[in-house]
Amino acid sequence: MLRRLRKRSIIPGFGLTLGFTLFYLCLIVLIPLSATFLEASKIGWHEFWRAGASPRAIASYELSFGASLIGATLNFVLGTLVAWVLVRYDFPFKRLLDSLVDLPFALPTAVAGIALTTLYAPHGWFGAPLTAAGIHVAFTRLGIIVALTFIGLPFVVRTVQPVLEDLDRELEEAAASLGAGRLQTFSRVIFPAILPAVLTGFALAFARGVGEYGSVIFIAGNMPMRTEIAPLLIVTKLEEYDYSGATAIAVVMLVVSFVMLLGINALQSWNSERENMSVEQPVALAAGVPV
Amino acid sequence: MVGTLHLRSAPAVGESRLIRGTLIAIAVVFLSVFLLAPLAVVFAVALGQGVAAFFSTFSNPDTLSAIWLTLVAAAVAVPANLIFGIAAAWAIGKFQFVGKGILIALIDLPFSVSPVVAGLTYVLLFGAQGLLGPWLVAHNVHIIFAVPGIILATVFVTVPFVARELLPTMAAQGSEEEEAALTLGAGGWQTFLRVTLPNVKWALLYGVILCNARAMGEFGAVAVVSGHVAGLTNTMPLQIEILYNDYQFVPAFAVASLLALLALATLVVKSVIEWRIARRGARV
Amino acid sequence: MSIAIRQITKKFGRFTALDNVDLDIPHGRLVALLGPSGSGKTTLLRIIAGLELADSGSVHFDGQDFSDRTVAQRRVGFVFQHYALFRHMTVFENIAFGLRVRPRASRPPRSAIRAQVEELLDLIQLRTLAGRYPSQLSGGQRQRVALARALAVEPRVLLLDEPFGALDAKVRYELRRWLRQLHDDVGVTSVFVTHDQEEALEVADQVAILNGGRIEQVGAPDDVYNRPASSFVYNFLGNVNLFHGRIDNGTAYINQEATGQLVFVRPHSLEIGRQPSGANYFRATIKHISSAGPVVKVDASTGWGAPVHVEMSQARFRELELRTGEEIFITPNDLAVFADEQRAG
Repeated sequence: MLRRLRKRSIIPGFGLTLGFTLFYLCLIVLIPLSATFLEASKIGWHEFWRAGASPRAIASYELSFGASLIGATLNFVLGTLVAWVLVRYDFPFKRLLDSLVDLPFALPTAVAGIALTTLYAPHGWFGAPLTAAGIHVAFTRLGIIVALTFIGLPFVVRTVQPVLEDLDRELEEAAASLGAGRLQTFSRVIFPAILPAVLTGFALAFARGVGEYGSVIFIAGNMPMRTEIAPLLIVTKLEEYDYSGATAIAVVMLVVSFVMLLGINALQSWNSERENMSVEQPVALAAGVPV
Repeated sequence: MVGTLHLRSAPAVGESRLIRGTLIAIAVVFLSVFLLAPLAVVFAVALGQGVAAFFSTFSNPDTLSAIWLTLVAAAVAVPANLIFGIAAAWAIGKFQFVGKGILIALIDLPFSVSPVVAGLTYVLLFGAQGLLGPWLVAHNVHIIFAVPGIILATVFVTVPFVARELLPTMAAQGSEEEEAALTLGAGGWQTFLRVTLPNVKWALLYGVILCNARAMGEFGAVAVVSGHVAGLTNTMPLQIEILYNDYQFVPAFAVASLLALLALATLVVKSVIEWRIARRGARV
Repeated sequence: MSIAIRQITKKFGRFTALDNVDLDIPHGRLVALLGPSGSGKTTLLRIIAGLELADSGSVHFDGQDFSDRTVAQRRVGFVFQHYALFRHMTVFENIAFGLRVRPRASRPPRSAIRAQVEELLDLIQLRTLAGRYPSQLSGGQRQRVALARALAVEPRVLLLDEPFGALDAKVRYELRRWLRQLHDDVGVTSVFVTHDQEEALEVADQVAILNGGRIEQVGAPDDVYNRPASSFVYNFLGNVNLFHGRIDNGTAYINQEATGQLVFVRPHSLEIGRQPSGANYFRATIKHISSAGPVVKVDASTGWGAPVHVEMSQARFRELELRTGEEIFITPNDLAVFADEQRAG
């Protein structure tokens, strides 16, 4: 059976490694996930709709998706700018800042959550002046956006950086020699070249934000209908022993994740086509790795 | 702005000093507000009431047990996903077969599933109300609200790390060196241990440290399966949550500062590895 | 060790890389597999090595069927196109690898391995670089290390895939003479793949020319060059002038359309004269002369408008005092006629 599926090769270990890979994936990932869908199918359509599309659930989806969208958009702009600055310019502490970009991957989300909350709380370093100016961040939707911007920060930077590094400077020189201004060169030559990478980073940041839990719950305030994100609602339902309610919301989020996974894969293959099959450096790899 | 001119940037295609300075300033402010400040505040609060208060946190038995459980979960999850990652990267990187794209997407799946949903799937499978619940209860096996559940949830969220790092490296290196080893009479294991493994060691280490950082820091998935039994099923992130919600800020941030140090160590190792790979890339 | 290849067929998806190939490689010879890219030459080499498995057919070493033997069991020395040196091992460790991975029972003692590797290092004249890593070597040095590594296991046959392909012209030239010398010293049956006809004709005892997964001709270099079996071989083994024509009673008539036959003449087999000589000649006008180098190349245009290339010695060129734009008479000394397969097909 295996022999028919693959090109014959003399390198040993195909059956062993593929067999183990499939076995492990089934055990750890696929069987539990299918258990969720199996549970959901037992609930019944009416009950599923009641729990999965209740006003409170809908409000939580809107918040999770809306805040993620805003956070990812912020990263779309600022992440591209940061990538540009890190690749093109030299300035003091550049290496340090470059390494720190991965902090949201490496810092546990609970730590990020309490740190951001402390910063933006009414008496915090940023919270005090902001509150004086009438801007409330902690325990509001704004706080959720701040947390999701933090979580998504590395994605755009780390997908755009390698593409910018590989970008042929002769293209820009050619554009300049043809009379294009700097802004025209950026908008017509550079930006189209990095667009697939920027969009990939945007999508990754967005997908990560939708499912994010740890960094948000501390700063969110968690008021039903106002500042309650979808993953928190699942936890709340579980704590109330409302398993079918939790399952219904989880299935909605799973379906959305699958769709986004497909979209991101399509974007990534577009991205690597644009990169002309260049061998990816680990910097680029980290982009696929939401820690 | 100091801004020494980048060597490669010919004057014809550079930006003016003003624009360059402005862009650098925006980037530095953005990164400082979003990265440096949260990091700084962790240590500021943790040490805010002196070193003694900081260290007294670690005499709390619940905190110590949380640290222990975190180490246990990582000690299982990292080796398990290391072996998985090597097997998956070998099968996918060295062979052509039908359905490869689907397999790669499946390996990525845990990245796109919300950690809370990941935890829930285990509750629905192993919990008292779950599919296998009655059988487990009858045989007195406790997975949910117990250590096995925490380990399983940790393994789930860290499945892709090693595989993701190894795969492109193994695929990019092709199979020529392995073929050379085989023509020279080496067996399969010899080829793997003596030729393949040394060639991917940096990518492997890279995957392992990222996997470890996530395993020790996982919150959402573990929160769902833990049950928050103090001294028994709390990991460090869960202990932070409990302490913080109990308004014990110094102990909460003291535990958090340990995890922040782990994150910083991870970033240092990551930078060193990237530097080594870049140097080797330049040499070959 | 003689090699016999019997009815080997290999397909990659819909592409037929090798189509029912038979080939005999006698003991101790140095044989070139020559052909354009995609002709199947590398696939054939890899099938001999056991790196690729044929769809059908068999490979025999000294009359024994080795088709089902693994690559390790075949004990062939394989030199990869890009050398495939182990990049994390020194030159010494690379060469020693094949001896060190032997099962304990047949593994030579450390001192014997050291002696053998040092002997090979002397053979490739790289003893001083034993501690270097592959990335610190030049292309030519890597190539020699790859050869030494393959020879260390005392292979039954030595197989080389485009051994000089990745080197620049001067190093190539030196290395191929060295390979010929090495082969004469070591005496192991050797097969190498190349797309460079000059390389094949200069180095090999015997040349097998492949095209589209089939063997067009096998023979000594002199044989295949002077007595090509097909228009493909004639074309592939050097520059050539091509005319449409036909043969009648031993006389070739060129400049005849739709005759179904092709007439080939090598540029150095055309003789330029100021006057017509004999019965076989045609008129042409000189378009361009390239006189730098040992051979003077003249591009001319025939009376009916076809381009024609002629090569001559510097002495003959000076004697004729040719100039661009002059009319000349060209006499073919030697020509070959093949059926025009495109037209016939």
